[in-house]
Amino acid sequence: MSRNGQRTPRYSAWSLVRHGLGAGGEWGRAFRHHTPRQAYDVVIIGGGVHGLATAHYLAENHGITNIAVLEKSYIGSGGSGRNTAILRSNYLTPEGVRFYDRSVKLYEHLAADLNFNVMFSQRGHMTLAHNDSSLRTMHWRAEVNKLQGVDSSVIDPGEIKKLVPYMDVSASTRYPILGALYHPPGGIIRHDAVVWGYARSADAHGVHIHQKTEVVGIDVTSNRVTGVRTADGRRISAPVVVNCTAGWSTLISDMVGVDMPVQTFPLQAAVTEPVKPFLDTVVVSGTLHTYVSQTDRGELVFGASVDPFASYSTRGSLDFVEGLAGHVLELMPALSKMRLLRQWAGLCDMTPDYSPIMGLTPVEGFFVDVGWGTYGFKAGPVSGEAMAACIAHGKPPEIIAAFGLDRFEEGRLVGEKGAAAVGH
Amino acid sequence: MSRARPGGSHRLGARPGEVIDRSRTIEFRWNGVTHTAHPGDTIASALAAAGVRVFARSYKYHRPRGLLTADIFDPGAILQVGDEPNVRAAHRLVEAGMDVRSQNTWPSLRYDVKAVNQLAGRFLATGFYYKTFIKPERLWPTYEKVLRRFVHAGEVSPDSEQPYFDKRYAHPDVLVAGGGPAGMAAAVAAARAGASVMLVEQEHQLGGHLRWGDAEDLRCRDELVAAVEAESNIEVLTDSVVAARYDDNWLAVVQRGLPHVAERLVKARAGTLVVAAGLIERPYVFAGNDLPGVMLSTAVRRLLNLYAVRPGSRAVVFTANPEGDAAAADLRAAGVDVVEVDARHGRTVVRATGRGGVEAVELSDGSRIEADLLVTAVGWTAPTSLLNMSGANPGYRPDAARFVPDPAATPAAVIAVGGIAGDGTRDELVAHADAAGREAAARALALAASRAGSADTRDPVAVPQLGLHHHPELFFALPTGGFVDMSEDVSAKDILTAVKEGYDSSELVKRYTTATMGPAQGKLETVNTVALVAHATGKTIAETGATTWRPMYTPITLGALAGRKFEPVRHSPMQPWHTSHKAAPLIAGQWIRPEHYGDPVAEVRNVRQNVGIIDVTPIGKLDLQGPDVAKLLNLLYVNKWSQLGIGRVRYGVMCAEDGVVLDDGVTGRLAENHYLMSTTSSGAGTVWEWAENWLQTEHPEWQVHVTPVTTAYASINVAGPKSRELLARLTDVDLDNAAFGYMNVRTGTIAGVADCVLWRIGFTGELSYELHVPASYGLHVWETLMATGADLGIAPFGVEAQRILRLEKGHLIVGQDTDGLTKAYSAGLDWAVKLDKPDFVGKPELAWQAARGEHPKLVGLRPLDTSVVPEEAAQIISDGGYIVGRITSSRLSPTLGRPICLGQVDAHLADPGTRLTVRLRNGSDTTVEVTAEHAHFDPEGERQRV
Repeated sequence: MSRNGQRTPRYSAWSLVRHGLGAGGEWGRAFRHHTPRQAYDVVIIGGGVHGLATAHYLAENHGITNIAVLEKSYIGSGGSGRNTAILRSNYLTPEGVRFYDRSVKLYEHLAADLNFNVMFSQRGHMTLAHNDSSLRTMHWRAEVNKLQGVDSSVIDPGEIKKLVPYMDVSASTRYPILGALYHPPGGIIRHDAVVWGYARSADAHGVHIHQKTEVVGIDVTSNRVTGVRTADGRRISAPVVVNCTAGWSTLISDMVGVDMPVQTFPLQAAVTEPVKPFLDTVVVSGTLHTYVSQTDRGELVFGASVDPFASYSTRGSLDFVEGLAGHVLELMPALSKMRLLRQWAGLCDMTPDYSPIMGLTPVEGFFVDVGWGTYGFKAGPVSGEAMAACIAHGKPPEIIAAFGLDRFEEGRLVGEKGAAAVGH
Repeated sequence: MSRARPGGSHRLGARPGEVIDRSRTIEFRWNGVTHTAHPGDTIASALAAAGVRVFARSYKYHRPRGLLTADIFDPGAILQVGDEPNVRAAHRLVEAGMDVRSQNTWPSLRYDVKAVNQLAGRFLATGFYYKTFIKPERLWPTYEKVLRRFVHAGEVSPDSEQPYFDKRYAHPDVLVAGGGPAGMAAAVAAARAGASVMLVEQEHQLGGHLRWGDAEDLRCRDELVAAVEAESNIEVLTDSVVAARYDDNWLAVVQRGLPHVAERLVKARAGTLVVAAGLIERPYVFAGNDLPGVMLSTAVRRLLNLYAVRPGSRAVVFTANPEGDAAAADLRAAGVDVVEVDARHGRTVVRATGRGGVEAVELSDGSRIEADLLVTAVGWTAPTSLLNMSGANPGYRPDAARFVPDPAATPAAVIAVGGIAGDGTRDELVAHADAAGREAAARALALAASRAGSADTRDPVAVPQLGLHHHPELFFALPTGGFVDMSEDVSAKDILTAVKEGYDSSELVKRYTTATMGPAQGKLETVNTVALVAHATGKTIAETGATTWRPMYTPITLGALAGRKFEPVRHSPMQPWHTSHKAAPLIAGQWIRPEHYGDPVAEVRNVRQNVGIIDVTPIGKLDLQGPDVAKLLNLLYVNKWSQLGIGRVRYGVMCAEDGVVLDDGVTGRLAENHYLMSTTSSGAGTVWEWAENWLQTEHPEWQVHVTPVTTAYASINVAGPKSRELLARLTDVDLDNAAFGYMNVRTGTIAGVADCVLWRIGFTGELSYELHVPASYGLHVWETLMATGADLGIAPFGVEAQRILRLEKGHLIVGQDTDGLTKAYSAGLDWAVKLDKPDFVGKPELAWQAARGEHPKLVGLRPLDTSVVPEEAAQIISDGGYIVGRITSSRLSPTLGRPICLGQVDAHLADPGTRLTVRLRNGSDTTVEVTAEHAHFDPEGERQRV
């Protein structure tokens, strides 16, 4: 494969064999180092899935390739590498369903599109109901999804037990399981691979990815963005600067004086040592504030809801893992001898209506794709696609029209709170 | 059952430091074969004594693996014990009858079919799965199933028994993590300085490396152990680990080896944390370095001196330090032929070869030595994890070839001692730890004193600075051979490949190759990985840096973290009565309450005809006192509160900032500055936090005191046309309609119980009184009501009957008839929202909503086919199949004899008389008609005002 004059060996089983036999030469770098140019057409701040997908789709769909992605640490070091990699599209509002369904569709073909196996495993997604009111909500979501062509249905404890034999579905537990919303197309993905796949493709298109390059200032002249300044003292000119950060999105926007209604909360997660695979579906329990899946490496990955207080800390707490372990054992008591290997936290930028802020801002040339709360990873591809279109055409495409910053001025908050609040 | 063949014993004669009890022999099974062990043996030492070399097969290539470190971090000895997966067999002591099996082998450890992967290894280079299985897309699920079969781990069984775990809190002045010589010295010094000390040691005995040392080491250990035992102020926890350190020295300690408790999580708040984790020996990377028979010098000395096991018969000892020399000496003393390869003289090992184990060793000078044991002693890794968790980020020191903490950058509440802090002779390290222990005690006691209000007047202890000895930077022989991470099967070549492909930082290499992500959490692997990344990128190790050390230090069980189950159930004081009257339980959040007593329809009819009582104790109740309560109510509720008179009750609705209905309930004014607020049952906690949040963050100047009193009162609703007649027999409150009308509140005595609150309100639509009585008298009042009302036809009713009664009356339930998107106007609460109030939470959003008008509306719905009761959550659809609304509540009304519903519909469909199509769960459609009122029964509310 040769794009933009760069030889990028194509990945396939055949190429693996050739390399194995020593005939393939070097694989080549999936993403290269470059000396920063003095000017780019577009500077994207944030080398996570959103920033890299935006770069990829700008190049792929719009032919814009003179792009720099500036990442203050390493690519995927923020939310993209810290989330629990769950994908689903069983949302509640038509806007939410349409948006996330597009994302799942893009994810379904992403490996082939990027020539990089992102290991999207559509192993099913199950949201448990522990009381009659949440069972009623599951029925609601199932009915809505059915009418919108999204595969989801309510299943009873017997069916849950068949899908997850380790689940305690007896009536004697503290929060008995009454049923679940089952969404077969949902699943998990190798989140780092999504980042690398987009980075590799963007790189092959000629996009410059600058890691360990922190933006410390954004220059604005006559209400128009002119470039950015980096911690190593460079000034990079660009007529378009895109804020694709999380955790620090308000600080970046502050650099141009654009106020964001965003509060940052940590969200904690943890992983166990591997055991032989026994859990095929993603299991979510809103009542127990827990979601569980098992990776192809055999580890159980756990997540929860955001911490109850705003903070920039990415350290875990003991309180969290204690509660988590208790709730996991409530669901699957047989796991008490499994060991917790590692815990961490990511930062979630929460907006008042649990919906992102995407598109233009009052400062010309300054675009935002922020406020992604706990659902940013799920939306990575569709956000990149839509932001690329927004930048290329200077106006937001229909699919993100409702997510503009001006909605907070005009009181047109998006109604995904009910849907987002239902969990992962 | 087969038995291990006798004769192959590698057990030596008695050793001075051995920890086994030779007077007793116990039996256990290893892959179905019975073996023997002595108490004190680990699983691994017992098997090694029987001549077992291969313990496991590796992750990817299924290569045979044996002991490497012979301690808890050994990647080669992770085994299944009964139903427990991933047991660290070089740490876990043998117990009689144990069923030990190798993991990830088929059909057997010896003949493993997947070992063919070794042949295919060249095609399975790092990240191979990212490069293949891409097309055709439909085959990926099949590929994935195969990948999942390769998972390298033990198994859990669905009916695995759950042992007993518990927790404990501890508040030691000083907690010492590590019971080697430095840890013991620090503990003793701290205790002598007056501190209470908890000394935590991961292994089964105190002593650290002194245990496998020479006679002088053993004498020193005996002295230190005796000193520890002499201090009553020191609590020793062996077979225990400080798994994590959180802010303010909040420490997670897992304690094992207790009688009747599988594991105990000790949550310790320590004044000072002394980190005495010692040093971990660093493996050397060279071709064949994972062959069974390649061991670290510390592993060999553990086996020889603690367990009296001879690990081989002909050894090559590759040594760069005195510990390696000592291992050679120990081996010789045990009758092993030893060839020393001294790195200090420029000789190195480049390769080990053999089938299923070491058979020969190749050196850098081209020579080849036959041996069945290759011992490496190239240097040390500081397991700084607890220091990193404390915010100190130890830096790499090339002269010492390890990461070393900077005492100045370490928080005051944390002190490092022993090998992790620096180098020295045994006596220097003990002296340093002694001073550090005294300083740790002084800091902890000063902290305690300052909390008690005293000033810190102590003189700081002079803690000598430890130096660093020279250690060679011996990480790998050639960057192309051998394994960096044995548990993940990551080779040195994989690291180089990853860097070449662009994954050229420690973090990206970790994520791409999975090196350091295994059970040892990088303790054995990180420095070698970083060294290889540095080599490949041309940077220094210091520039390259390590990945983040996160909790846990050693993986800990979910059982230990969870402890005993504490998921409390809330019951009202009337629960004994409900239980004895066969109430069907309903789980409602934390509460379990009666859903019905057998026949909810009969319960409804009895309320409409006679009188019924329902236990409504879970209703949230907040006692509000102070001169500014009305201001708070005006802020939180959308309606007006300034004019509420004493003795009056009003229904109120709260919205969040986005205008979405948050909660509802009635609030009554008991006195000038005293109100009682009720909330929904599920909203009790939320509304309390909500009120406090607004008071504390936005209006700290308001004088309002909020006290949650939900469980201080038992609450009973007495409903039905005969409720006044019943209550009149039991209360001193004047119940006459003129004296105590609808939407009023009184306080008085009921059934002899003083200080009761009576609200005259009507959720059921009947004449009714809600009684809030001091909780301890709840059962008494309930039973008295039942007895007194017998002639009036009194009967209890449950939540289901109440739901039907309220639906007949068209009263909404927040969270059922509203959802996360329903703003006040959509809930039909137009009458309540007072946009002319200066401010209230959600006002801007509601003003916008009112101005636009195009919002869904909650309406009453009447199914035309009276034989069909639409399911709740059934969708209302347009002709084109679009969703235009949904059924939120639906029941067959016993009073009206037909189905009744509430539903949310789009604005243009909300006019009375509009006919709508409902899609039922079975796929068929039915028609409903919008009614003029939400109430299907007595819309004027005459029955509740009598």
